[in-house]
Amino acid sequence: MDTPQTLKIAGELLTGLAKNAAYPEESRLDITLEPRDLQEAVGKLAAARWGYLATITGLDQLAAGQLEILYHFCAGAAILTLRISVPRSPIPTIDSICSVFPYASIYERELGEMLGVIVTHTPNTARLFLADGWPNDVYPLRKDAVLEIRQE
Amino acid sequence: MNTVPERFVVPIGPQHPALKEPGHFEFTVDGEQVTAASVRLGYAHRGIEKATEGRNWVQNLYLLERICGICSHIHATAYCLGVEKLAGVTAPPRAQAIRVVVAELERIHSHLLWLGVAAHEAGFDTLFMYSWRDRETVMDILEALTGNRVNYSANLLGGVKFDMTPELQDMILKGLEFLEQRTHDYVAVVTTDATLLQRTRGVGVTSREQVEELGLIGPTARASGALRDLRVESPYAAYADFPIVPVTATEGDLEARFVVRLKELFESYRLIRLILEKLPEGELQARMPRKIKPAETISRVEAPRGELFYFIKSNGTDQPERIKVRTPTLCNLASVCILAVGSQLADVPMILAGVDPCFSCNDRAVSIHSTKLGEKQWTWAQLRQYGIDYYRR
Repeated sequence: MDTPQTLKIAGELLTGLAKNAAYPEESRLDITLEPRDLQEAVGKLAAARWGYLATITGLDQLAAGQLEILYHFCAGAAILTLRISVPRSPIPTIDSICSVFPYASIYERELGEMLGVIVTHTPNTARLFLADGWPNDVYPLRKDAVLEIRQE
Repeated sequence: MNTVPERFVVPIGPQHPALKEPGHFEFTVDGEQVTAASVRLGYAHRGIEKATEGRNWVQNLYLLERICGICSHIHATAYCLGVEKLAGVTAPPRAQAIRVVVAELERIHSHLLWLGVAAHEAGFDTLFMYSWRDRETVMDILEALTGNRVNYSANLLGGVKFDMTPELQDMILKGLEFLEQRTHDYVAVVTTDATLLQRTRGVGVTSREQVEELGLIGPTARASGALRDLRVESPYAAYADFPIVPVTATEGDLEARFVVRLKELFESYRLIRLILEKLPEGELQARMPRKIKPAETISRVEAPRGELFYFIKSNGTDQPERIKVRTPTLCNLASVCILAVGSQLADVPMILAGVDPCFSCNDRAVSIHSTKLGEKQWTWAQLRQYGIDYYRR
């Protein structure tokens, strides 16, 4: 199956949930979702066996006061990105997709510690990459993170 | 006799002096059987994603190349292809072909390195020494080609740094001839040697179903019959002009992973010869702008261990807004935790080695916690030995 066709199928699976859909490149489809629709969307992809979760990227949109979370799914050359925005404050929260994709756990742990997103229902919230002594309130991939050496 | 099942947690990691990089696993065992597993990484976390946001596009090339000491070229290639896409620049065909030659040489060195490590974990040190001796051939080629054994720095934004001279081509062809002959021997060894087969055949079996469920990639997926190879699925650089024939197996056990990786070597030899024969003429580099307009792109390439995923976002300046890197090992590691469950503790070293983890396995000290027996300390060497002795019985 060719790439545009694969993307079209993904688009059709998610019609009704998508707030916005765009083809930024030939092999890519970006679909913007409301946070509450995430579970249903990934559930539909899993049920249709559309690709696999390649990774989760967190973007800090400081000026807009939002954290954007991108779920990248790949099927052959086709890349589907589900885009979810959550407010940066008071606490950015998103629901886990581990019930559908258990291997998302590792990416959700990364998202939590790097950008301070609280992922509810994720099976493991232990530190994955950051050091044990890393301060709890500093999320290094946030644009306004102050990375300084703290004196004990 | 004790009727309550014993449950121990076996922490493995984070340090091991013999292998390159550290990681920490906790395996819960019930007797010999692993019943749960978890992973903790980050001992080699250097904050590179964050660091890219404070450097310009050119500086980042050198930074990202240093993510990995084994597959440095493929990181630079993924980054260059992505940035070139953002800037609307295409590297000249000769440069793309040279990128592929270096990428395949890198794959040869990486697969031979893995063969040695996996053989060592199985207690087959003769194979380890032979494969690492032979690997020196490809390391010498890489050094002659680029000046470096590790961070080749072959890529530039918009092209490559050096040309392929006739002398270099001769050296490569001679080296490949030797390696090809050696690889035939290795295939014979890993498919017939009874002691090695005892450790690999039917061990760590991953079904095609599991590949889908766990999101496995690279040779690990291909050994289970899933054609996941971006060189075929989504050809980049010169792979569209010089296609590869993907190698797959159906068994999904460790033996299949040995066979798949070794057979991929033949494909690499063939492809390099073909490219050298038909190397396109022309420039080595296209002009790149210093600043890049705001946009996002995703660049995926096939590293020796599987799909390498780069998300790159520009913001109109000479620095990126965000670069996200997902290395193949992270994908495959998540699966180790799931695959190890239900297997024998003695097979754990081989299951870990089977995915070719590029942060590498294991460990300085393994301690066994038991309420009954008190605490026992094991080194990684002892666990490895335990695996070997277990199968000797």
